[in-house]
Amino acid sequence: MIEPEVAELLESPCALIVGTVDASGMPDATRGWGLRVEPDGVHVRLLLSSNAAVTLANLGTTARLALTATDVATLYSVQIKGRASNVEAPTGEDIDRFERFCVEVVHRIAEVTGENTEIIVRLKPPGVVACTVRVDEVFDQTPGPSAGACLAPVESP
Amino acid sequence: MTGDLPPVTLRDITSCFEGIVPAEIATASADGVPNVTHLSRVHMLDDDHVVLSNQFFSKTSRNLAENPYACVVVVDPLTYNSYKLQLRYERTERRGPTFDHLRRDIDAVAALTGMQGVFKLRSADVYRVIDLQPVRAAVHGP
Repeated sequence: MIEPEVAELLESPCALIVGTVDASGMPDATRGWGLRVEPDGVHVRLLLSSNAAVTLANLGTTARLALTATDVATLYSVQIKGRASNVEAPTGEDIDRFERFCVEVVHRIAEVTGENTEIIVRLKPPGVVACTVRVDEVFDQTPGPSAGACLAPVESP
Repeated sequence: MTGDLPPVTLRDITSCFEGIVPAEIATASADGVPNVTHLSRVHMLDDDHVVLSNQFFSKTSRNLAENPYACVVVVDPLTYNSYKLQLRYERTERRGPTFDHLRRDIDAVAALTGMQGVFKLRSADVYRVIDLQPVRAAVHGP
């Protein structure tokens, strides 16, 4: 299962970046816009930009996904890897989470950088879609020589 | 993906390479497992190339040894517009002006953060930019 400390970071207003790959091996990067760790502790519901066409196409073919979450103040980071499924339109709860995430992460970045929130909010995508990720592995991604160390495989309870 | 946004060149987005807003890089292993992490800075080398610092023998480095393609997203610190670069690894430099430039940059960051001895440049990796596109957001600034 995803450890509570990791779940807390994943669900916080942190920097979420997402990597996928197409069938030819070409990688793609985008941002995540909020997620929820499911009660089973092995799946997450991830929100992605509805404009992330390459990412969404990759999820339809290879389904492989990596996601790194970083606390913008401390740089404490973890990376999860797994397979995505059930790409679908957002529910009302997803949209609420997306809007709340945007407000909170913009303010968190502004606190750390001193930048104007009206500029930072330009990162916000026009909309989101939701997907489910089955998490197989969790890695330490905090900058430094230990980055990339496997914290634990994620097994069903 | 890009709608009616105008095409851009590396010279149009030089402010993205000042190291103010961290970039992100996605790579993939030979067997198709992606990896994604932050980059403190992307350096523009010329009109067609960027340079990334390699400080640790990380998963990113191992992936690039197997699969030369990478995707980097950079942010303009003035507008917070984002740009996606598709890259192909070309070569590694362990001496010379490019390497020295990156080493000075990393040494400065390490000194500022008290991380001397942790952040140490091992190589400067040069990539050809094979595609550059703006990332459409809800609001794309001037």
